[in-house]
Amino acid sequence: MLSSLHISTSLSVSSISPPSTPRARFRPPQATATCASSYTAQQEKGSTSSYLSRPGMATCTSLYEVLGIPVGASNQEIKAAYRRLARVCHPDVAAIDRKDSSADEFMKIHAAYSTLSDPQKRAVYDRKNFLRVQRPLTSDSRFSGYRGRSWETDQCW
Amino acid sequence: MSSLFLIGDSDKKSSKSDGSNIQNSTFSKLLNFAPPFCISFHQFEVMAEPAYTVASDSETTGEEKSSSAFPEIAIGIDIGTSQCSVAIWNGSQVELLRNTRNQKLMRSYVTFKDEIPSGGVSYQLSHEHEMLSGAAIFNMKRLIGRVDTDPVVHASKSLPFLVQTLDIGVRPFIAALVNNIWRSTTPEEVLAIYLVELRVMAESRLKRPIRNVVLSIPVSFSRFQLTRIERACAMAGLHVLRLMPEPTAVALLYAQQQQQLIHDNMGSGSEKIALIFNMGAGYCDVAVTATAGGVSHIKALTGSTIGGEDFLQNMMRHLLPDYDNLFSSRGVNEIKSMGLLRVATQDAIHKLSFEESVQIDVDLGNGSRICRKVNREEFEEVNQKIFEKCESLVIQCLLDAKVQADDLTDVMVVGGCSYIPKLRNLVKSICKRELYKGMNPFEAAVSGTALEGAVASGISDPFGNLDLLTIQATPLGIGIRANGNSFVPIIPRNTTMPARKELVFTTVRDNQTEVLIVVYEGEALKAEENHLLGYFKITGLPPAPKGVPEINVCMDIDASNVLRVLAGVVLPGSQQPVVPVMEVRMPTVDDGHGWCAEALHRAYGSNLDLVTVQKK
Repeated sequence: MLSSLHISTSLSVSSISPPSTPRARFRPPQATATCASSYTAQQEKGSTSSYLSRPGMATCTSLYEVLGIPVGASNQEIKAAYRRLARVCHPDVAAIDRKDSSADEFMKIHAAYSTLSDPQKRAVYDRKNFLRVQRPLTSDSRFSGYRGRSWETDQCW
Repeated sequence: MSSLFLIGDSDKKSSKSDGSNIQNSTFSKLLNFAPPFCISFHQFEVMAEPAYTVASDSETTGEEKSSSAFPEIAIGIDIGTSQCSVAIWNGSQVELLRNTRNQKLMRSYVTFKDEIPSGGVSYQLSHEHEMLSGAAIFNMKRLIGRVDTDPVVHASKSLPFLVQTLDIGVRPFIAALVNNIWRSTTPEEVLAIYLVELRVMAESRLKRPIRNVVLSIPVSFSRFQLTRIERACAMAGLHVLRLMPEPTAVALLYAQQQQQLIHDNMGSGSEKIALIFNMGAGYCDVAVTATAGGVSHIKALTGSTIGGEDFLQNMMRHLLPDYDNLFSSRGVNEIKSMGLLRVATQDAIHKLSFEESVQIDVDLGNGSRICRKVNREEFEEVNQKIFEKCESLVIQCLLDAKVQADDLTDVMVVGGCSYIPKLRNLVKSICKRELYKGMNPFEAAVSGTALEGAVASGISDPFGNLDLLTIQATPLGIGIRANGNSFVPIIPRNTTMPARKELVFTTVRDNQTEVLIVVYEGEALKAEENHLLGYFKITGLPPAPKGVPEINVCMDIDASNVLRVLAGVVLPGSQQPVVPVMEVRMPTVDDGHGWCAEALHRAYGSNLDLVTVQKK
């Protein structure tokens, strides 16, 4: 019943281009943060409704692509890639106008990292990923305009 | 009037959701007995220094990152239960600021003895006993944001000032004894007065206005308590850039030190896993961090409201078994005796960190005198439960972080209790490591907040000393009440932030048209044993058999640590939510909400209940 729910993606965030270095002091990223597959994210979390979540990146890429690493990457390489991307995409370092998208971006990166850095989860993912038939996701959105308020305040009441 | 406005300007946003009446009255109270602060506020108007006026209505926060030619560096503040300190990145390193008495660590208290209340930053105690006369309020950090049914509030009733509880889940009544009058105040107000002193002190040291701060907070603080801290800061004219769990501030300092070692070609660039044990007078916190390349990735956090205050109270009751009876009346003489005992006991505990035994000789002035030898073993036995709790926090944290003791590179013990031999030994033995020696245990947390202050202000360092990032984790789980009276976490503890998670629920009754979403934060299995953050109803569900509507509850913690709860309903086969989605920013509860959950239960019973949907 739940699986019959249509997986929709929001249009608000388009695929993210390699982030320009927000502040000079950070090394330029060697890997680019593209977007994760909402399909796999759905699978991982077992969540059903995407109409509440706003990330929705339409393109299907593998978790390896999210981290910009080869499929056979070692645990070391996974960690290094995660940190490298965090240095660029984490909202604490992202430029002010990218805060919202950088949070989504960082969550994708973290989701990829937490799956791939756990040998068991990685094995499960690899198996599914291998069997998975790439199917395009429709991009209709029940809530295309729906987004959280974005007052960027640290101070909340 | 306009000065009122100016003080309040940092919390414009707050007034939207916050009863501004309450706030104004608190302000005016603060102003009434705080003329010196008024003077400093007054300068705002008269001198109108440009820097003071930057905070205009239109500006929101987040502006901090904008690169101006002279970015303001936020200061770091460690508000301790017992001691406070302030530090700042001075351009090349972290520097702790000293008050006029040349102290880096200042006692945390505010005395209401004089017409103008004054705190431990500026005030010179004639003797330690003066703090215990009933006229001074201290241990604010243990009281702030707690209701009067909280055991921690009850434990505070043995302090010399008045902590009165009605045990109905409202804010406790707190008062200082001045000329035989109990003058009421609140923990937020006391903290605000103290913070104003800290701000004035920092402004005079740095010769510039201070607005942005990074504060360290205990791991176990609920989001409601965080709002109280923010309110106190706003009352003091300070804007909170970040609230950092204390051990994560220490972790950031560690990350920077490791970076420096690499810079000096003395360290390797490989990942280091460190455990930080931080115990002060009020709280005990543990964190596990994985650090490399200046990135401190917090793997797990655990914390509890245990600290030096508990050692002290256990010891006083041990020395004077009749303690609670003797001091229940709380007359001036009893308070004096209590103060004498407290000072003597505290002194003995300090000495026991370095000596095997200590002689206590104290005349309580009421005919009783305590004259005896206390040894370290006795102290450890009396406080065995606390040590066991500390042990379990460390073990839990390692477990949560999925880290074995053998994986640890370094182990740090910091905070006011860090010299207690038993604590050091228990951490060493669990972690199978000698303790890290590279940081001052009393200054580590404040140094970390100063580093975060510089990083969050967008300051860069030519030597890369500020190339730092903390990847934070949620210290407590956040979820809703469902499946009867259970707490169902949606964002579990130790989830990396920012985070967004959702779960599906459904109705428990046929034709149930409304559901009640009650949001809690904590770890307890029973909903009401957690911290209540807020509640709202979803109404207008179309009639359907129970178990059919899909109620999605999504929780989102954004980059600024703001929590939003979204809830929507769909019927199977439909694509569209049947009613508009609810989006609620939490916490929504105000003071004295301990009774809310009970009142909700009385009003609705289980009529608006939810259950989780089993994954298929």
